[in-house]
Amino acid sequence: MVTTISKLAGAAPGSWRSLTVAAWLGASLAGALASSASAETLTIALSSTVNTLDPTQAQVVGTDVSVAAHLYSPLVARGPDGKLYGVLAESWQPEGDAAWLFNLKPGVTFPGGEPLDAEAVKWNIDRIRNPETKSRNRAWFDPVSEVEVVSPTQVRIKTKGPYPTLPDQLSMIFFLSPEWMKTHNPATEAYGTGPYTLKQFVAGDRLILAPNDKAVLEKPTFDEVSMRVVPEASARVAGILAGELDLAFDLPLEDVERIKKSGRADAGWVPSSRSMVVRMNTLKAPLAGNTKLRQALNYAVDKEGMVEALLGGLGTVSQCQIMTPAYFGFNKDLKPYPYDPAKAKQLLKEAGVTTPLKIDLEVPLNRYFMASEIGQIVAGQLQDVGVEATIKEMDFGAWVKTYAGRDMGQMALLGQAWPTLDADGMLSLYAAANPTAYFDDKPFDEALKAGRGTTDPAKRLEAYKTATARMCEEAPVIFLFAQPFTYGTSKKITWKARGGDWVRATDVVKK
Amino acid sequence: MIAALRKVRTFAGGHSGWIGLVLLAAVILIVVLAPLFGLPDPVRNNLRGRFVPPSFNFLDLTRYPLGGDHLGRDLFSRIVYGGRVSLAIGALAVGLGGVIGVIVGLFAGFYKGWVDRVLMRLVDVQLSIPLMLLALLVVAALGPSLQNLIIVLALTSWVRYARVVRGQVLAVREREFVQSAYAIGVGNLRIIFVHILPNVLTPVLVIATLELARVIILEAGMSFLGLGVQPPWPSWGRMLAEGRNYMGTYPEVSVYPGLALFITALAVNLSGDWLRDRLDPKLR
Repeated sequence: MVTTISKLAGAAPGSWRSLTVAAWLGASLAGALASSASAETLTIALSSTVNTLDPTQAQVVGTDVSVAAHLYSPLVARGPDGKLYGVLAESWQPEGDAAWLFNLKPGVTFPGGEPLDAEAVKWNIDRIRNPETKSRNRAWFDPVSEVEVVSPTQVRIKTKGPYPTLPDQLSMIFFLSPEWMKTHNPATEAYGTGPYTLKQFVAGDRLILAPNDKAVLEKPTFDEVSMRVVPEASARVAGILAGELDLAFDLPLEDVERIKKSGRADAGWVPSSRSMVVRMNTLKAPLAGNTKLRQALNYAVDKEGMVEALLGGLGTVSQCQIMTPAYFGFNKDLKPYPYDPAKAKQLLKEAGVTTPLKIDLEVPLNRYFMASEIGQIVAGQLQDVGVEATIKEMDFGAWVKTYAGRDMGQMALLGQAWPTLDADGMLSLYAAANPTAYFDDKPFDEALKAGRGTTDPAKRLEAYKTATARMCEEAPVIFLFAQPFTYGTSKKITWKARGGDWVRATDVVKK
Repeated sequence: MIAALRKVRTFAGGHSGWIGLVLLAAVILIVVLAPLFGLPDPVRNNLRGRFVPPSFNFLDLTRYPLGGDHLGRDLFSRIVYGGRVSLAIGALAVGLGGVIGVIVGLFAGFYKGWVDRVLMRLVDVQLSIPLMLLALLVVAALGPSLQNLIIVLALTSWVRYARVVRGQVLAVREREFVQSAYAIGVGNLRIIFVHILPNVLTPVLVIATLELARVIILEAGMSFLGLGVQPPWPSWGRMLAEGRNYMGTYPEVSVYPGLALFITALAVNLSGDWLRDRLDPKLR
């Protein structure tokens, strides 16, 4: 019976993989007793598929970057408390406005014995900066002018101007062995200094990690870490309840309560750093150059009501900015657009829009929490003020192609977060130079530039205050809310929940 | 085995056919007359009414007889209007598929020779591709919309008509009235459509009923996968898909549309069987 239900529940829109998952879940639930994992194995459910093992190509924090963090070592890492701590780096400090100096821990070697020293760090960063590598992370190093080896344990990163968030970005950069890279493909193999080594990688299905006995920077705490790709939320819930999974994320809120009550497993939520917004393509008619129209749409949507009813009060309404209070650069002076349909209608009139106004709302599926529901509610509320939003649901993968290809529709539902929790990265998503900005505003860009031009935190805050206020007023998005980040754990572990997407075995403690 | 089944059927046969017809008539009546019942708006969200428990009071339709769904919409109203969408798509797809299939079958059977070979190889090609896969590919390429959905579903169903009609035509075209029409110089098209067509329509009707049940279920599958009806409009498959995240907590959100789908598919199938038994002399 359980098998049948989870099979039904397992099939997902637009995804063939889900069929496999359903089959897997059915089979594995049947054999759950037999395969009941020993206390030393940690089984984590990833909500979407791992695309590559190559840390230079990794971009999605919840999957690729997190996997890389188990296999390789970064200079610095971000703990569950949000603070940076040194991994390969012993200490680091800025040198004036145009360089950062990193002191490395001595004696770190790859499994084959070659050292992970300043030379290797330089090689890795230069490789990412080289356009031929086609690294997706190259843009982070655009402000970097040179990497200099001072001594085997000291490396200096010179920048073209102040680059205050460089250490934050480096928390997502992992180091490969130059020697090993000559003969191997990092997309499907791994050879690093991280706490775990790769035992098995089945693309789109699972990833099994074994402890790295030679690890000196971070020690493995489990005999085996198994990461399974389970894209369907209800399948993750079933897995947690069956004791099949130890850690899973993005569970429906209704199920969080149910899991808690069941007594068989544990669940909870933390405020996340991801803000849900309805992107408006301000380069396309009718939203282009029509601030009043965009403001009207903000007045038309009942954020409070949505958080209250849909999220059971577990989210927080965005304060007219895409950042949550966890970000550096959060502007606490801004207040959300109140829900005021009358004001919205009046603004629509002033904007010279003839109602009913027909507009497209793209809703990518299988990526954001309750996307389909949020999309339908937004469309319903826009309808009330005379804006007829036609919903176009599509698979996230297909949608991202148009989004990244500068061809987003008039409106699209989207969740945005920046792993370094810094205004620079987050707000740059709306800088005109960014291909996915769909927003071109001089004063906003100026403020961003001012924020990047200094390492003085007070001056940076001031600049981001201007930028967020400008963005609030220009409203290139309908500000919604920061979504809650839900998770479930088995009885045998505790997890240090963090609002970001990082999934790390080192955050898990055995009971 | 088959004989045993036949026995069961003759025992229950008369009744199951009537049950099917009555159910089908009821479903069609409810769905067609939906606007007269004063049902609540099936697409209007009401966040305060999320997961309202069912009152089972079908006399006062404003009191959520089957409860509210995850966006506070009346489930009963959504099932009824979703049925309109599902049945309309099914009927249009079966109709379109039937017209194409019958024409192909007529020409293949009448002209024989290379026309027949070409058309029947086309049918074979079509039959060799899994229908769901074909439907998914076409919709993924063209984008989900109501027209595309109907076209795709029709595309998956024309072959059955073509095959059966061709077989019938091969037999009918040798009959005396066709031969005599030919002898007095009646044109080919006139022979095909005026003399042969009426004589091959009986099996077409049977296939159509069976296809209808299949297409409704296929549409549900497509909508379940997000490639069919776009929100906020309901269809049964779409409702099943939307409810699956709440299976553990509020199963009724997907159970009731599932029941509606089940009852309709059963009714259509039973009626189809009944019709076939009545019309097919070999089974009488």
